[in-house]
Amino acid sequence: MKKKIKRETVDIVANIIVTFFAILNLFPLYWLFTSSLKNSADVVKMPPDWIPKSPTFSNYVDVFQNQPALRWAFNSIVVSLVATIGVIIVSSLAAYAFSKLEFKGKDIIFLVFISSLMIPKEVMIVPLYRIIQNFNMANKLSGMIWPNVATAFGVFMLKGFFDTIHDSLREAAIIDGASEFQIFYKIMLPVVKPGIGALFILNFVQVWNDYLWQLVVGQEKSAKTLMVGIATLMQDLNPNFAYKMAGATVAAIPMLLIFIFFQQYFTRGITIGSVKE
Amino acid sequence: MLRKRLVALLMVSILMLTLVVGCGQKAENKPDAEGAKDTGKEKVEISLWLTPQWKGVFEANEEGADYDSFFKYAAKRFSEEYEDYDVTVDVQVIAGDQRDELLNVNLNGGTPPDIFYESVFAMGDYAHRGALVPLNDIVDDTAKKDIAQNFWDVVTFGDDIYFYPFSHMPGTLVYNADMFRAAGLDEYIGGENEIKTWSLEEFEKILNTLKTKLPKDKYTNAYPMALFALNNQGDTWNLAYLRMFGNKFFDEDGNIILNDEKGVKAVKWLKKIYDAGLTNPGAESVSSNDCNAMFQNQQLAISFTNSVLFNNLKADMESGKVAKFDARLANIPSESGEPLTFTYVTGSCVFNTNDETRMKVSKDFVKFFSSDPELVKASKNGVPVRTSVAEEFKSEKPLFEAYDKNSKYLFNFTGNVPGYSELRQVLYPELQALYTGEKTPEQVVKDYQTKGNEVIQNAKKNSVIYNK
Repeated sequence: MKKKIKRETVDIVANIIVTFFAILNLFPLYWLFTSSLKNSADVVKMPPDWIPKSPTFSNYVDVFQNQPALRWAFNSIVVSLVATIGVIIVSSLAAYAFSKLEFKGKDIIFLVFISSLMIPKEVMIVPLYRIIQNFNMANKLSGMIWPNVATAFGVFMLKGFFDTIHDSLREAAIIDGASEFQIFYKIMLPVVKPGIGALFILNFVQVWNDYLWQLVVGQEKSAKTLMVGIATLMQDLNPNFAYKMAGATVAAIPMLLIFIFFQQYFTRGITIGSVKE
Repeated sequence: MLRKRLVALLMVSILMLTLVVGCGQKAENKPDAEGAKDTGKEKVEISLWLTPQWKGVFEANEEGADYDSFFKYAAKRFSEEYEDYDVTVDVQVIAGDQRDELLNVNLNGGTPPDIFYESVFAMGDYAHRGALVPLNDIVDDTAKKDIAQNFWDVVTFGDDIYFYPFSHMPGTLVYNADMFRAAGLDEYIGGENEIKTWSLEEFEKILNTLKTKLPKDKYTNAYPMALFALNNQGDTWNLAYLRMFGNKFFDEDGNIILNDEKGVKAVKWLKKIYDAGLTNPGAESVSSNDCNAMFQNQQLAISFTNSVLFNNLKADMESGKVAKFDARLANIPSESGEPLTFTYVTGSCVFNTNDETRMKVSKDFVKFFSSDPELVKASKNGVPVRTSVAEEFKSEKPLFEAYDKNSKYLFNFTGNVPGYSELRQVLYPELQALYTGEKTPEQVVKDYQTKGNEVIQNAKKNSVIYNK
């Protein structure tokens, strides 16, 4: 009995702590949204208004009035979604090859792949932009998508997941007469589903926030993405904090939805991938 | 099983759709391009970039008013009236913080815009880099007479004019006259449409009185004056404070000469008012944006402003976005009694695209919208550089006259030196060191001068203007 009461007390304390940190983590989202309903001066008021005194949606109207905001949102979704699907296809195939297949120079090629993680994207912007120009992809969504399709991070991450699958599974499938693609598609891929879910979220967020590249490629108004488009509405010497909050709130919604839909894969993915047999 | 297949089918459909849409997506047939029509003349397409300045052609309340409205309208008229070519102008708005990234990538990629409309201080380095072409040939005597010499000095690098000035945005101080009254400082309040000039002694008295006499119950957490050094935002005001005791800042060769008695005195003064609690605390971690917001919330009695910020403040008060109070303008005082003022001149420059036709058309377009009697009226959205426009609107905009009177005190804060953008990164760390007590005023001016001149010397090596 005593033991039961002690356990319940520990549970209650643990729940209080977890709830506290959950609220703490949610606070930036709350602050973002409520600030988008305030006037610019009130956003930075000290002491702050924790609840907007006279909430208004005028910031949303001001930011999006006369602007092709829906078009920008559509562009952002297309770029993030297509690039992420591309990353998953390319990364899963490459990771499988590095993990399960034997070929000459495998380790060196993988090392070269991983080394590319150390090169910041900013260094490659100018040559990459010239390539995109030569392929006539400037001001097209394809110009924002293709350079994001092959990433060393995706290969590195999924290789970790493939490494956790025992080789005997593949050998059994070979004995049963399965082709290499069948083994990959029907046996291995379902096993690494949590990893793919985690990669989906991480990559979607990364591409969604790939401000610099999207800024450089989408220079025409109709080719801009949401993040870049919203930034063009800000006057240099007159930053309106409430406008920024309204824009950021809208920009955060798709990412929240993606996380809600894929969170079970994400949480499983980040834990499974870390354990290696 | 069927459900799984349906999901798979759905996923494949989405993938195919997004691939088709994503890869085939092209910007819609240049909806921002203005002026295209079949005239039988040779077609020329030029691009114009601008950072957000004002909305609408002439007024922000026009239907569909946007930041590119004016240039689209100007392009339409130019295309109709231009005889040499059938011109299309592609107008693009880019954010101020996107400017250098986009320009550098496009300059390296060989695709700079033909025209850029922006503050001259932000674009001067491109003139030094040889990315811009001189505009001497499109500036005529009529323009020279209508626009004061001060403005031509700002847009002239070496012997050549690189920017066609259109409007300007004077920088001053702004003060809360209600707080002055509450502290018993009525005698120091200027007129509603006046830019008040105080002597340095008066200014110090005002600050001290605000500190001691401002009612704490009405103005909680309020401080006399704004002081900031978090980053390079609003650094022009800090540069002005450094000249308060007569230091000229740049010599004739474009080198910093802050490290003298007058320079040290100015830095000591800043430290003195900071230590005495006459400014907001924590200046090293406070930005100009923070100060601007604090002023709007009546937590600062004196802050910085420019004509656009001041107009926006008034408009926000009218619309109820900001609580109403009596905001008025004042000059930055100096020891000599002669106030300090500066302005951000805004205008157009033409990039060297190595395409003679496009460069000619671009210059003609710049001259067109910068001198056409109807179009130049749009400069009233800032402060017009043209005396004729300022005169025309002075009854509608009474501050134009005050700004005009003030223009004799203007100083060119960039000195048109090469590497100015990089130079801006040198000042605020030194001021941070001053406010945190890490460095003495003597060390600050010495280090700023040394580091600043290094930046300038390096930039001079690559300046086409210094290496003609």
